Amino acid sequence: MKITFKLNGENVSIEVESYKRLIDMLREDFELTGTKEGCSIGECGACTVLMDGKAVNSCLVLAAQIDGAEILTIEGVNQGNNLSDLQRNFLTHGAVQCGFCTPGMILSSLALLNENPNPTVEEIEESIAGNLCRCTGYKQIIEAVKATAEMSNQKLRNQSA
Amino acid sequence: MEKNKKNFKIVGKPIVRQDGVTKVTGKAKFAADYNFPNELQSVMLRIHSSHALIKSIDFSCIENDSNVAAIIDHRDIPGDKKVGVIKKDQPIFCSEKVVTPGDVIAMIVGKSERELIKIKDKIKIEYEDLPVLTDPSKSLETDAPLIHPEYKSNLIVHYPLRKGNVDSGFSNSEHILEQTYTTQNIEHAYIEPECVTAIPQIDNSIKIIGSIQNPHTTRRIVAAVLGISLSQVVIIQADLGGSFGGKDDTMNILSARAAVAAIKTGRPVKIKYSREDSILESYKRHPYVMHYKVGYNSSGKITTMKIDVTADGGAYASMSPFVTWRTVVQATGPYEIENVWTDVKAVYTNNPYTGAMRGFGSPQPIFAQESIMDEIAERLGMNPVEIREINALKQNSVTSTGQRLENHEVTLTKAMKTAIEKTGFVDKWNNYRNQSLDKSNFILSGEDLILSEDKFISRQDKLRRGIGLSISLRGCSLGAEGIDAAAALVAVQPDGSVYLLSGLAENGQGLRTTYSIVAAEILGIATDKIIYLEQDTSRIPDSGPTVASRATLMGGGAFRNASEIIQKRITNLLLNEWQLDKEAELIFEDSMIKHIASNKSIEFTEACSFASQRGINLSVVGWYKGPDVSWDEEIGQGSAYFTYVYGCHVAEVSVNINTGEIYINKITAVHDAGKIINILGAQGQVYGGSTQGAGYAVWEEIDKHNGFIREMNFDQYLIPTSKDIKSIDAIFIEGEDDYGAWGAKSLGEPTLELTAGAIANAVKNATGKRYFNLPLNLEEILLNRKLRPEDMKRGSE
Amino acid sequence: MIPELKILRPEKLIDLLDLIAPADGATRILAGGTDIIPGFHINSKRFSSIRKLVETVKIPEMHEIKEEDDSVIIGSSVTFSELINSELINTYFPLLVKAVSKIGSVQIRNRATIAGNFVNNAPCADSVPPLLVYNAEVEIANKNSTRKVLLNDFLEKPYKTQLKDSECVVRIILKKIDKTFTGDFYKLGRRRGVAISRITLAVILKKENNIIKDIRIASGAVTPIGMRFTELENDLIGKEITPELLVSSSQKLGKNVLDVTGLRWSSVYKVPVIQRTFYNLLENICLD
Ligand code: FES
Ligand code: FES
Repeated sequence: MKITFKLNGENVSIEVESYKRLIDMLREDFELTGTKEGCSIGECGACTVLMDGKAVNSCLVLAAQIDGAEILTIEGVNQGNNLSDLQRNFLTHGAVQCGFCTPGMILSSLALLNENPNPTVEEIEESIAGNLCRCTGYKQIIEAVKATAEMSNQKLRNQSA
Repeated sequence: MEKNKKNFKIVGKPIVRQDGVTKVTGKAKFAADYNFPNELQSVMLRIHSSHALIKSIDFSCIENDSNVAAIIDHRDIPGDKKVGVIKKDQPIFCSEKVVTPGDVIAMIVGKSERELIKIKDKIKIEYEDLPVLTDPSKSLETDAPLIHPEYKSNLIVHYPLRKGNVDSGFSNSEHILEQTYTTQNIEHAYIEPECVTAIPQIDNSIKIIGSIQNPHTTRRIVAAVLGISLSQVVIIQADLGGSFGGKDDTMNILSARAAVAAIKTGRPVKIKYSREDSILESYKRHPYVMHYKVGYNSSGKITTMKIDVTADGGAYASMSPFVTWRTVVQATGPYEIENVWTDVKAVYTNNPYTGAMRGFGSPQPIFAQESIMDEIAERLGMNPVEIREINALKQNSVTSTGQRLENHEVTLTKAMKTAIEKTGFVDKWNNYRNQSLDKSNFILSGEDLILSEDKFISRQDKLRRGIGLSISLRGCSLGAEGIDAAAALVAVQPDGSVYLLSGLAENGQGLRTTYSIVAAEILGIATDKIIYLEQDTSRIPDSGPTVASRATLMGGGAFRNASEIIQKRITNLLLNEWQLDKEAELIFEDSMIKHIASNKSIEFTEACSFASQRGINLSVVGWYKGPDVSWDEEIGQGSAYFTYVYGCHVAEVSVNINTGEIYINKITAVHDAGKIINILGAQGQVYGGSTQGAGYAVWEEIDKHNGFIREMNFDQYLIPTSKDIKSIDAIFIEGEDDYGAWGAKSLGEPTLELTAGAIANAVKNATGKRYFNLPLNLEEILLNRKLRPEDMKRGSE
Repeated sequence: MIPELKILRPEKLIDLLDLIAPADGATRILAGGTDIIPGFHINSKRFSSIRKLVETVKIPEMHEIKEEDDSVIIGSSVTFSELINSELINTYFPLLVKAVSKIGSVQIRNRATIAGNFVNNAPCADSVPPLLVYNAEVEIANKNSTRKVLLNDFLEKPYKTQLKDSECVVRIILKKIDKTFTGDFYKLGRRRGVAISRITLAVILKKENNIIKDIRIASGAVTPIGMRFTELENDLIGKEITPELLVSSSQKLGKNVLDVTGLRWSSVYKVPVIQRTFYNLLENICLD
């Protein structure tokens, strides 16, 4: 079946098999392999992408279901050639080890920060509770998200000052 | 060159990992992200049995199916049909017998995995079920069926350790305490499931790219299975999505299967596992049954220990002989004990097989020995710190294997003191203990299902707080387990940029960054001038596996060696050029090379181009070999490891005694890992390791029924989430040591092994009740046992 | 494995009802998909006959939350996240918010829908106990007619409801309750973050001068399906709140649960613990 949607800011149309999930289409048809598969049942969050700004598990969405939607994957998070503050903070806070959970973590955190620029530690923990990480113990990830929120608030204050 | 440099420029600072940018942008390539033209997919053929004789297999109804490119089974293997590190007991494809549910009989390959799955069930397999052994103690009974008849016994290995005289030790002890502890199967739960692709090359060699922990081991296995030479196999390690010891044997076997299929079809063959496949077939951490008998005096001095440990090895020997060897060395814990008698056995069962996992034979005995230490203290009216101070290993103490700890700083009590001061341990422990005394009404009898009035606990009383600690020593690297050496290539280019390549594989923990820091420190350059080459078995000598927390110690030593050779060559060249004394010292820092007294200096880049013009070779393979260790198998005595690390964890918990829930409020982890190379990476190890350790203590369990695993995915197998551990504090004390790179030793495993013991002791402090069986799940806390669906059928209720 | 499917996306409710009218067993409604898609992955028998999926995404009435004089209407495809963010639901039905905020992860709550949670009648559907204490009504439509039933009657037995293949749940109707009700929801899972529930309980209560005027109690996970305990409720109405009453009613709840479930392997844990957690829940409601 044919679907049309917005992928990382660009309008795209594609003929896709009915049995493909969003993750299959992203990885196979668009070769966007930054979206990872760890469980296929919505438990690990490695496949997280944003659909109309909201974090979803791309292993739990059929490709057909995103007709007309807007999808953001990890490949669309960079600002041009530059890393976003969130990505950079992941690096400087040591929030990345093996990196398999990282794309999903970044997208879940991004969805949170877009909705809630001033999250508490509890809110950050809740927003990534569906993203399993076996390497980091989450602490440095939470710090990276917190630091990103603080940076953007600082920028806002500077602008208004 | 100063042996233990003090003023480091880069070492010990927070350094962003080398491969970080590709990982935050989604560009990093993990095994499943590689695709090759004409590639074939594969599905495994298994039967639903834990132990069966295969009578016949009929492929005829799919043989001519256009979706099938080939059917691969044992007949296609030209070389070794069975593999294994010590015992070659594990078939690539089973042909006669199946000994555990994960076993694979054949593999079908074809263009579309979907189509293969659809037709797979058409294959007819006739088999006869055999009696299933799930209890290791039953495996050793004389009439037990043999899982691998060729070995004449279900015993995989038995290690004795004999020191002093336990009989007189016990008769001279004022008190004796005996307890039994058990631990569960644990899944590595790397978030990336296994994946590998084998690509046939035109020159009849084979290239393999996959989620492989130890490329050189994989190469050895694949070459043996294909019956070709090592040089015809090239293994490339993709970015690895976590391993924790888990992507070794399984990946060797998957690589071999893919290689056999690739050769047969002449096309690239990919094996990509789902989470369910992964849990079904991969090995686990060993469940242990540990019996401890301890003789001690009223003064608190422990004089004698008799320990009997049985490890469930599951269906294959795998790394059991190495894992249980560490157990026999460390079973008495970090205590100096005069008389010791230890027996550690690993045995075959039809359960999923067990092998290497972070901790490697130490998390189990640490849970037991740290529990029993607290119990002894309790009986003597001491606190947990006092009993440990009396018995802890100190400088020049002699271990249970008869090794004197003299060549490195023994920081065990320092680690413990740091942790108890930081947490205010003793006051808290006393307070919580008084609270919990005499309040065991939360425990359920298991009989009266309708509670009597006194079993109701009001909301303000239901949360009990507790604090507990555990301490350990850990032998670094392989010890007398294996040959211990590592290689490292440092290649300085004429423009001053540097290539690194290690014989030890990155497992996702940040080794490349660690090694870059070592080289950068010695050459006085920034880490971003360093490029780390893809791990490739054809370019660097085998350095043994990335296991046993040896990578920083051994690889760090090798990179230090290579970098120092290069530094020496540049120094000689410049001394000559500047006409300075041959013994003069040059300083390499801030991308400059300087001689202070003569005020001479040169940019590092210029020096490199100069060296290249002069024909000086700045590409060096460094080598580091650990000092020799010695071991007497018969009595388990000798210098087991050439050096040790020490640590202490303090856990603070709340227990909801109404429901049995445990909340982890804080873990304070103090480690002497020697010199810390990258503080960001080191902290990450502690946070990640303690979190896994907490999972081991409270939530995680691979539970089996007749050999079949119940928890096939992350909805059932519960690893900690971001909400489950409130806070972790990582503290490093850097004990002096000569080995490796400035005494940088081991950290990955120590961070995990201590946590469960500390949590169990904290739960005791909170509830007043001692628990003997991991995990401390809801039912264990309230009923003191696990509940399983089959309990009902057995009529035990 | 996901089968080859026909996926349809009607824009009007009546078109959707037309599409499911044949009731051929092969057609199923697709809302969030968080149950069906992993169900395909594990080859669940519950979904093995599906060949056609009819999406609700374009049908406005299935996505809105709206207020009427004495009730609030929730479209059947409203997601958990939408419920959590709805002021209306927070004002009138706080227990529902509390319950659905504990379901799954953010990612799941962004997709999973209210009706999707109970149409399969799985015991661990966490939205059910609060819906039951709020006396939720379910509006069901087929091509020719519409009917309303109480959720309590709609849920028949494990994995079985009144819903026929030709029918679709369109809305959930919640009567606003008297402001003097107070209540609480409790969930026990094996882990803090994202866990399947072992026990859920919802209770609302109205008291005057320490006398129970009205009480509604519902459980989930611990009973084969989410259910109300009307006998116990009736028994408690008119009683004075005393420490003894809290204990004895908790014991009664335990007996009721045991009667419904019979002795199971998990009873030795769950039956005592539901008494204790109910007791604590009553403390929260009655003593504050
Ligand atoms: S792969 Fe989608 S949540 Fe795990
Ligand atoms: S960094 Fe490895 S799973 Fe998160």
